[in-house]
Amino acid sequence: MNPQNQADPLGLLMRAAQDGDSAAYLRLLKEITPLLRRAVRQRRRFLQPSDVEDLVQDILLSLHSVRATYDPARPFLPWLLTIARNRMADGSRRQMRRTVNEVSVAEYPETFSAAPTNTLETRYGDPDALRQAIGRLPSGQRRAVEMLKLREMSLKEAASASGMSVVALKVAVHRGMNTLRKTLSVEA
Amino acid sequence: MDTEQLIHQLADRPAPVRRLAAPWRRAAVWFAISLPYVAVVIFAHAMSMTMPIDLSQMLHDRQFIIEQIATLLTAITAVMAAFCSIVPGYDRKVLVIPLLPLAIWLLALGDGCIRDWIHLGSRGLEVRADWNCLPPAALIGIVPALAIVIMLQRGAPIYPRATLALAALAVAALGNFGLRLYHVGDASIMVLFWHFGSVIVLSLIAGWIGQFVLRWKTAGLETQP
Repeated sequence: MNPQNQADPLGLLMRAAQDGDSAAYLRLLKEITPLLRRAVRQRRRFLQPSDVEDLVQDILLSLHSVRATYDPARPFLPWLLTIARNRMADGSRRQMRRTVNEVSVAEYPETFSAAPTNTLETRYGDPDALRQAIGRLPSGQRRAVEMLKLREMSLKEAASASGMSVVALKVAVHRGMNTLRKTLSVEA
Repeated sequence: MDTEQLIHQLADRPAPVRRLAAPWRRAAVWFAISLPYVAVVIFAHAMSMTMPIDLSQMLHDRQFIIEQIATLLTAITAVMAAFCSIVPGYDRKVLVIPLLPLAIWLLALGDGCIRDWIHLGSRGLEVRADWNCLPPAALIGIVPALAIVIMLQRGAPIYPRATLALAALAVAALGNFGLRLYHVGDASIMVLFWHFGSVIVLSLIAGWIGQFVLRWKTAGLETQP
């Protein structure tokens, strides 16, 4: 055994782990986990505790996958910290990629309370004003709105009742609704 | 998964692992695989082209000797740096060491270009296509490239781009060392353009794909029996 190992208990444990010593490996992993946790917290202060744990686990898995690269003649901690730094950098890159493709929404609009999700009809609560506004529409538009929107007739039924073509009804109801929207929004 | 649980899972199956040999030892293994192969390809090509390799001409060409030493040193330092780069804990400065022999090679070629220009005028700086060289140039790198990629995959991909770029530099430099043996009298501009140029292009391409070739193999580790 060289003097390097005598001063490097973690190196000794790693050496035993490389030889298949389960107890030594368990002890090593238990001893380095708090070190890794501290290193991650120091370098990535903005991370949530769960993200810190994810990163620590990623480092442990990486260490496990490349444990053959540890040379017992060399100090253990620089070996470990190089892996840790590399995995932290990879973690940051992954996070950056995720955040670039994500849209963060602070508050999800709900139909029953948020203004953008409510239509004009449900927001406008004065039926008298609506009736007066419909009454002020040109006759063709008024008839179309009454039949298609108030009585909820189909286009075919409205066409046969009014003698207007389906296309003319569609145009009339569209214009009528636009006029109502403008009128009521000015009044509101 | 809980970290404590993961630790127990990892420690439950610590199958003994074969330690990676020291980088210089692995570099020696790579040369032991690659050099005989390069020699066979060069010999076969020289035979097929009926171009004998003229040792006496080589030994009297100082420019050629400097270039060949620089090329071989580039291959040696690049492969050493590549193997060091996959072992965590090595100083990153080791990655730039191959730039020194590479610079000497470039300077020697530049010097050759100036000499050719002085002696031959603009004819000395003409770049022509030499398609005869393409098959051996493509063939010469196959075994060294495969060998080095397989060997590098046993390590830790700390700097995958730099590692693969260095590996490609080593392979290409070794290939050029061999190819130059029957290009002794070539104009420096030809060597600069075709040989040195291909080394740089190959290294850049390898650096670009490095992260796809050398990756951490952690996926599924926590669930493996």
